Amino acid sequence: MIEAVNLSAGYGGRSVVAGVNLSVRGGELVAVIGPNAAGKTTLLKTLAHLMKPMGGVVYVDGTAASRMSVREIARLVGAVLTEQLRPTQLTVFEVVSLGRYPYTNSLHTLTDRDRREVWRALAETGITHLADRRLGELSDGQRQKVMIARALAQEPKALILDEPVTYLDPKARVEILLTIKRIARERGIAVIASLHEVELALRMADRLLVVSGGRVLVYDSPEEFAALGGPAYLYGLDGGSTFSPELMSVEFRPGLENKPRLFVVAGGGTGSLVYRMLARLGYQFSTGVLHRGDIDYCVASLLGGVVIAEQAFQPISPENVHRALEEARDCAAAIYTSPPIGPLNSENQILAETIALQGIPLIVLGPAEVRGSAIRVERLAELSKTIDTVVENVRAVEPATVRR
Amino acid sequence: MVRPLRRGTLVELAAAAELKSSRSGRVLLLLCLPIVPLFIASIVLGGYAIHPLDALIALAGGGGTEESLIVQSIRLPRALAAMLGGASLGVAGAILQALFRNPLADPYILGVSAGSSLFLALSIFAGATLGLWTPTSPYSLYMAAFIGALTVVIVMVALSGVVRATTTILIAGIMFSYLAYAVTNILQVFADIERLRAFTYWVMGSFSGVRWSILSPGLPILLIFLAATIFLCKPLNALLLGEDYARSMGMNLNRARMFIVAAAALPVSIVTTIAGSVGFIGLSAPYLARQLTRTSNHFTIIPASALLGSTLATTADLLSRLALKPLEIPITAVTALFGAPLVIYLLLRGRGVQV
Repeated sequence: MIEAVNLSAGYGGRSVVAGVNLSVRGGELVAVIGPNAAGKTTLLKTLAHLMKPMGGVVYVDGTAASRMSVREIARLVGAVLTEQLRPTQLTVFEVVSLGRYPYTNSLHTLTDRDRREVWRALAETGITHLADRRLGELSDGQRQKVMIARALAQEPKALILDEPVTYLDPKARVEILLTIKRIARERGIAVIASLHEVELALRMADRLLVVSGGRVLVYDSPEEFAALGGPAYLYGLDGGSTFSPELMSVEFRPGLENKPRLFVVAGGGTGSLVYRMLARLGYQFSTGVLHRGDIDYCVASLLGGVVIAEQAFQPISPENVHRALEEARDCAAAIYTSPPIGPLNSENQILAETIALQGIPLIVLGPAEVRGSAIRVERLAELSKTIDTVVENVRAVEPATVRR
Repeated sequence: MVRPLRRGTLVELAAAAELKSSRSGRVLLLLCLPIVPLFIASIVLGGYAIHPLDALIALAGGGGTEESLIVQSIRLPRALAAMLGGASLGVAGAILQALFRNPLADPYILGVSAGSSLFLALSIFAGATLGLWTPTSPYSLYMAAFIGALTVVIVMVALSGVVRATTTILIAGIMFSYLAYAVTNILQVFADIERLRAFTYWVMGSFSGVRWSILSPGLPILLIFLAATIFLCKPLNALLLGEDYARSMGMNLNRARMFIVAAAALPVSIVTTIAGSVGFIGLSAPYLARQLTRTSNHFTIIPASALLGSTLATTADLLSRLALKPLEIPITAVTALFGAPLVIYLLLRGRGVQV
């Protein structure tokens, strides 16, 4: 359990982050996020009492850190920092056993208990098999696990992690964060970690401490922060990207090229990848009729498509089918993604057939049978080529149809 | 994703970890081997060869003969100074390298020896000219040398906090050496012939002139220092991960740094007082120790550096008296022959070099 009351962090007489109040219980993970140079490292070092607070108090396990000796603090708080390690020939076991520093005598003699804690930390981080390897021989991810195991060997009540996964590959990132979360829950350790990636923080943290402009902007659950607008709230995203609270992710809209608009009949998730492909290729698109809350609805809206939408769990109304048809008439071609058809969306099958009957080229992706359509694509990989061909033909025959 | 621990694996791995430390133990034993032969050679060989039996008698306290006089008042202090001085310089180098986290740190290169020489010269000059203290008393000499060494180490530590580039620190150290030698040289101009000889001797560095009068107060300090460094190994190991990590693991940084700085300055000042500036032992001994033991653990590196420093210094001392017999070469001229190329090699290797 670690707590900060009205904490100001800074150095050289200058406060970098002020007015920090937080309280992290055992097993909880609080992610500190914010723009570069927002003072995250300074704040974390102050929480770990590696720097003196400019003001306010840090309580560890109920005691003010300023009233404890360095050794006492080290028995309660472990830290993993961004400090770059010089190449050394210390073995993994030796580095992790350095975590016993606050417990051992001045000759660093390891007792049975010390050894047990070292092996436990190695096992929990999954690096037992690396025990006799040298630190310099390890990958970045393995080395980071060693530093975490070393902090765990301190038997801490709180862990302070400064960008623990920033320079790691995506697999190691997720693996290490999940490991930290699991150990924190098992051992009842309060974890405060700064994370570079907001999306990762939204998914991993129990709470977010959003730091910007020298103060705490938000201290709340990831969901509340997402509802506020997430990174859009923090950074003010420009037109090129949007944040979806439902998906907790940021979408990027590639610059639109001068390509015609396409209509997509989709639903039930069959359209998501098609929208992304179209956006990547620079096509504008309209789509429908989609039920609100459908994943296709979310992705299409995020990518800036025109969406003809129906209320969730309502059968598609004739008005919406009509609007979709109107929209499709303005498009150079249409794509039918073979959505699963049921009582609530059977109109989409009819919509597709009507589009084909009206002479708009209809590409059928997948197994669905659509009367009046000649173009069929089995796999997504072949779609982009087919679209290009179809659009070229339309342009050659009838340039007037390409209105937008 | 924890792999379940089988009992067998744990035992095997623990055994493997033990194996590493037993390897260190074996290497340390191996490094002890040359010490006694070198000591004997140091007593027996020289401008005037002495029969081992006579030497033994002389060492046992017998004598009255010319041989026993040479052994007792010239060879023995010289051998002890070289062995213990070399060991201390090796350890001082290992300590400085951990403190600066730089394998190129060495008391000679960083200007610590030069600082000692400068303060020795100043002390003699001030003592002789102003009559403030007895200039040749070993205590005032040791004190002056220690203040000089301490000053330089503190300045270098402060500088390394400002300048991050390791080569910059080294250049600063070398420049500081030049400065110190320049002042020492200027002082020489004012000094009379008698004291001039002393100055030259301190600047060049040699174990040839070691006498009991200077050596005896320093010898026990060196022995106590060497024994006490075992208590520095724990903080030095923690410092391998950097100061912030060391603090986060419960190291009292300021206190540890104070001890480490003093521990680096003390042996260098004593050796400089006894034998002048002896270069490159502090660089080579820890480097060889790491190469041979293949570890950075100071519980191994510190004793290994002591043994290797002792071996190197005694060998260099033997070479300096035997190579151009009956002429004596300054010892740094010998140590620089292997030390300077090593510096260049380490510079070329760059960041890959391990501490």
